[in-house]
Amino acid sequence: MTDQTTQSSYKAESPALEAWRMFRRNIPALVGVALLAVIVGATLYGTFFYAGDPFEVVWAPHEPPGVTPDFPLGTDYLGRNLMAGMLTGGGPTLTVGAAAAAITMVIGITLGALAGYYGGWVDNLLMRITEFFQVLPALLFAMVLVTLFSPSLWTIAIAIGVVSWPQTARLTRAEFLKIKELEYVTAARAIGARNKRIIWRVILPNAMPPLIVSATLTIGVAILFEAGLSFLGLGDPNVMSWGLMIGANREYILDAWWPVTFPGLAIFFTVFAVSLIGDGLNDAFNPKLRER
Amino acid sequence: MSALLAIEDLRVTFNTRYGQVTALDGVSLHVNAGETLGVVGESGCGKSITALATMGLIPMPPGRIAGGSIRLEGEELVGAAPARMRGLRGADIAMIFQEPMTSLNPVFTVGAQIAEAIMLHQKVSPDQAFKDAIALLDRVGIPSPDARARDYPHQLSGGMRQRVMIAMAVSCRPKVLIADEPTTALDVTVQAQIFDLLNEIQRDFGAAIILITHDMGAISEMADRVAVMYAGRVIEEAQADDVLDFPQHPYARGLIDCIPALGREDHALREIPGVVPPLHLLGAGCAFADRCEHTNARCKTEKPLLAAHGHHPAACHAVEEGRI
Amino acid sequence: MSTLLDVRDLTVRFAMPRKGLFGPRPWLEAVRKVSFSLEKGHALGIVGESGSGKTTTAMAAIRLTEAAGGQVLFEGDDLLSLSDEQMRAHRRDVQLIFQDPYSSLNPRARVADIVREPLDLMDIGTPDDRRARVEELFKLVGLRPDQLNLFPHQFSGGQRQRISIARALTTNPKLLVCDEPVSALDVAIQAQILNLLAKLKSELGLSYLFISHDLGVVRHVCDDVAVMYLGQIVEHASRTALFESPQHPYTQALLSAAPSLARRKSKGYVRPLKISGDPPSPINPPPGCAFAERCPRARDICRKTPPVLEDRGPGRVACHVPGPADA
Ligand SMILES: Nc1ncnc2c1ncn2[C@@H]1O[C@H](COP(=O)(O)OP(=O)(O)OP(=O)(O)O)[C@@H](O)[C@H]1O
Ligand SMILES: Nc1ncnc2c1ncn2[C@@H]1O[C@H](COP(=O)(O)OP(=O)(O)OP(=O)(O)O)[C@@H](O)[C@H]1O
Ligand SMILES: [Mg+2]
Ligand SMILES: [Mg+2]
Repeated sequence: MTDQTTQSSYKAESPALEAWRMFRRNIPALVGVALLAVIVGATLYGTFFYAGDPFEVVWAPHEPPGVTPDFPLGTDYLGRNLMAGMLTGGGPTLTVGAAAAAITMVIGITLGALAGYYGGWVDNLLMRITEFFQVLPALLFAMVLVTLFSPSLWTIAIAIGVVSWPQTARLTRAEFLKIKELEYVTAARAIGARNKRIIWRVILPNAMPPLIVSATLTIGVAILFEAGLSFLGLGDPNVMSWGLMIGANREYILDAWWPVTFPGLAIFFTVFAVSLIGDGLNDAFNPKLRER
Repeated sequence: MSALLAIEDLRVTFNTRYGQVTALDGVSLHVNAGETLGVVGESGCGKSITALATMGLIPMPPGRIAGGSIRLEGEELVGAAPARMRGLRGADIAMIFQEPMTSLNPVFTVGAQIAEAIMLHQKVSPDQAFKDAIALLDRVGIPSPDARARDYPHQLSGGMRQRVMIAMAVSCRPKVLIADEPTTALDVTVQAQIFDLLNEIQRDFGAAIILITHDMGAISEMADRVAVMYAGRVIEEAQADDVLDFPQHPYARGLIDCIPALGREDHALREIPGVVPPLHLLGAGCAFADRCEHTNARCKTEKPLLAAHGHHPAACHAVEEGRI
Repeated sequence: MSTLLDVRDLTVRFAMPRKGLFGPRPWLEAVRKVSFSLEKGHALGIVGESGSGKTTTAMAAIRLTEAAGGQVLFEGDDLLSLSDEQMRAHRRDVQLIFQDPYSSLNPRARVADIVREPLDLMDIGTPDDRRARVEELFKLVGLRPDQLNLFPHQFSGGQRQRISIARALTTNPKLLVCDEPVSALDVAIQAQILNLLAKLKSELGLSYLFISHDLGVVRHVCDDVAVMYLGQIVEHASRTALFESPQHPYTQALLSAAPSLARRKSKGYVRPLKISGDPPSPINPPPGCAFAERCPRARDICRKTPPVLEDRGPGRVACHVPGPADA
């Protein structure tokens, strides 16, 4: 391990800049960024180029894709325009996914970090709460939340966040339990660092790799969860989403593959792109991989 | 007289992310029956790889035996059939590892594990094997062996676990016993017990012992002969007293002088500057050249060979040229 | 010569998991009424087997592990009775270095930041002062300024130990706790670090609490040595006294177990003093002397009454039958 000669710049670059240099060299991550940019771009600006109401019945049901130029992706079981659905449904889907993942991470990391770091009764209390949420049937609980408060994108995101944080909390706690025993944490205490600093600045960055991976998975799970709720008729009926499209068309999959396949592929590529980016971020912020 | 175990010009390479590196670069060693050979050297110099090669346990890939021979009583082990190696391992050559916890299976009692090792190589009934196991536990100094044989590894202390490993290793009366840093994880008082036990076992069974260590003190107490390794080569080899009292190679001298020893406490320790070069950066010359105060142009371009120039064999141009 | 650290009756307990839901909670007394003092500019070695409480004693003495009782007078102030904030102000005076050069440095921080962090936290000096101080420390411990911006994994074990030492010296501490600082290093590298510690001690007038299981190392570095067994000090004396005329049978056993170049197999060396077995469990320590069951000299009284640490000759010994080894 004597490759210290490989880098001898004395003035430091900002860590973010250096991480970016690292990220830039990561081809899969760049592919992920490109893919996600295409998806987000299409959902944001697609309607400028292709306008249409996703709810309106415009044609015969189950028109296959590529037959009628006006409806390049065909129509669903009611004869609604799938292309319009894909373009307008992406925004809500992505928003719900990202918001739910953010809520999950914030609650999960905070509680997991506190439980793992402080241990003792704090740990006991927080873990009992976590277990309580974990044994709740997630979908049922989300349904209750959504029916109690009127179904809107935000209630859905919150409902998903509230039922899926326990996983993240457990993961964070496990990482904290492991890392807090390491000597650099003791060293930080020895120089008088306060708990707050140790938790957020010393341990958390080192606990990040599995958390980033789990966050990217959470986005995927949240998108699918939203689909599930929409399928059960608990989504916001006034907002088109990929999940709603899958949910509505699922029964007819044997008659027509395309109304389910296109939103399914869109969800798949979104999750794929996000996880490529997650991996790339993880590598970029890992100093051990930097000088290669 | 030919040696019991003779390793000659052994070369082992590994494929790494830096390309192919040579972990053992022409290692020659031998050990006779009833003798203890000490192998010392800094971390990463190839001590364990030498032991694993002898056991036929080099992970392949990434490893590869690129040349040389290992002979046990004249029988070539390099390239021997896997079935033949399995028959030899544990029976004729046995090994004790550094970490006694991870080398025992946590879900079986220690008695069962020793009995299994016995049944692998000897035709005995399970009952007899378990009785033999208890006798072995008694032999390696475990108190109330009957009860202990029914314990799981985690119920034993580190020293007791290492005794169990020794019991397992000697269960078939191996001709060669390789002990790879057997006491590094143990306390000095327990280390002393294990060393004494190894010596007794050698007296009883007449086994040849290869003791791998980085502790010159252990060499002094345990070894008849010593091989000093550096960066995949043997750089000095002789009777223990010769190496300890008249080290030839500058690295061997440094190793002995840098030990905090009795009666020298108020002097600064001799330092060997720098660190061992990583294998992928080894050049054409002597691997120690960068850390050596006797380096000249030849040292940087030509690898010295192990040969008797002065007192005993050492691989050093400076010794050969009489400069030190 | 003035006393820097005076530890009195220090006791540390760890709660063990209950047996059963409502069983009594067993306690592990890792450190039992340990007392010692350390002079300014001196190095006190603590030796003993694994689990004897060396680390716990040192960590409790600088309040990184909570003590169950006792006093730790640091230049007269009892560290154990300070509030957290007051203790934080004392942190700059006591620093530590660890055994494992790999887990003691935050892998995600640059080494310059690691070394500067204490100054940032305690808000000492201007940013420029801090940078200058870091460079000065790098030079002091034998690292090059062009290595400042590297990450810990880019260094070898010995260099990492130098970084740990630099970090510990940043705030100009008076006391340095060294917990097995060279145990994980190869002998050649070990010598470099030991020489560095010796140099710092004489140049900066540092005091060390030096934990090691290697008697050779302790003998090289320390002025006084305390031997611990099962959470207690069993013998405490100056280096010369302890190594040349040990009084406690456990000390004698330790010395005879430590490998040494002076003992040769070729000369038919046989260990004179053998002790068998392992130390007893700290959860239910025996009523008498903790060493009694392994002690070649044990008598009835040893198994019944615990001996107390008493002045004897040049040092202190806790033994009912102290004295030189018979053999
Ligand atoms: N699986 C592997 N792949 C690549 N290189 C390896 C592998 N195993 C060992 N090596 C290399 O072979 C060299 C010799 O390793 P070995 O384990 O024999 O060292 P050692 O002398 O036993 O050291 P230690 O005292 O640390 O046990 C090392 O430089 C190591 O990096
Ligand atoms: N956090 C903890 N919780 C419970 N028990 C502990 C804890 N830390 C230490 N102990 C116990 O306290 C006793 C003393 O441990 P300590 O680490 O001080 O020993 P040591 O002398 O430093 O040993 P070593 O040489 O192995 O470092 C041991 O029995 C250990 O198992
Ligand atoms: Mg090894
Ligand atoms: Mg310790």
